[in-house]
Amino acid sequence: MRRSKFLISLVCLLTGIMVAIQFQSNQEPKQRDTRDLWEIRTQLQKEQKRQLELYQEIAETEEILQQYQDQSEQELVQTLNDTIQDLKQKVGLTEVVGSGVVINVLPMVDETNYLQTYPTVSPELLNRLINELNTYGATDIAIENERIIHTTPIRLVNGKTYVNNRPLPTGPLEIKVLTNNPERMLDHVQVSQSRDEFALEYLDLQTEISERIILPKYEGVVDFDRLHVQDNEQIEMGEN
Amino acid sequence: MWLPVLFLLLGVGLGLLTDITIPNQYSNYLSIAVLAAFDTLLGGIRAHLQQLFDAKVFVTGFFFNILLAAMLAFIGIQLGIDLYLAAVFAFGVRLFQNVAIIRRKIIEKKLNYKEN
Repeated sequence: MRRSKFLISLVCLLTGIMVAIQFQSNQEPKQRDTRDLWEIRTQLQKEQKRQLELYQEIAETEEILQQYQDQSEQELVQTLNDTIQDLKQKVGLTEVVGSGVVINVLPMVDETNYLQTYPTVSPELLNRLINELNTYGATDIAIENERIIHTTPIRLVNGKTYVNNRPLPTGPLEIKVLTNNPERMLDHVQVSQSRDEFALEYLDLQTEISERIILPKYEGVVDFDRLHVQDNEQIEMGEN
Repeated sequence: MWLPVLFLLLGVGLGLLTDITIPNQYSNYLSIAVLAAFDTLLGGIRAHLQQLFDAKVFVTGFFFNILLAAMLAFIGIQLGIDLYLAAVFAFGVRLFQNVAIIRRKIIEKKLNYKEN
């Protein structure tokens, strides 16, 4: 009797060890926060800056709201028009003038290659360039007098690159970029990755600062077919 | 009756303290081994209550079941069939049966004790 108890106990011990090992093996390793103090501080600073921006935005919006509430009908229309103008400018439906950088995309002449064809700018290259320009702080961009807005399509149609549903010319391209700090933008473009990527396609980016650049307005119609105004109640209900 | 429980806890404690982990690809084997161990353990307790306990059967059953289950899992992995599910199923069913029998035995014991 005692022996059987002892055996059961021994098997219990083994089982316990196995269960414990299994349990430990199945535990997901915890994601450790490996950031050091400096990184956390930078993150905090970034968040604080964002918070400040958001507060500012809220204040501006509240001010506009206040204006709406306080003003007479005529003034109300004026405020509305101002807002519309402001929004139009933000979206890119107006002509804008400002300082910035003009980028000329020119073919690189390779003298060892006699059979060189005229290089074309692919949509991917343009996309990458625009992304990069946006990260460097571009406020408005136009490619060959085609204003880039949020919904601008850049795509390849029958071997030609189309921007805003208009084909780009095969000759040298002119890309106008408005920015608050043109010199910085110039420096950025000169060491950008896009420059290398364009060079792979035998294209050179020549940049110059211009104090006065005029960007054309977006010529197309912004499509609002799929947008609709949501009621306040619906928002509160959480319905879409 | 307290000795097995004590040893079980001791085993769990030892396992947790030693900080052993096994690689992910072998966790299948261990899980099935754990199941086999539980099955044998409950079988042993049941046999003990039924006064059918045989140490040899118990010990050989413990190791043999574990080995068989691991082998089944191994073959299953080699063949691409989840054969270890067969072992899981078999052990699962037996586990429930054993627990049911143990429960009945304990109830019987209690009733007898009360009647006496």
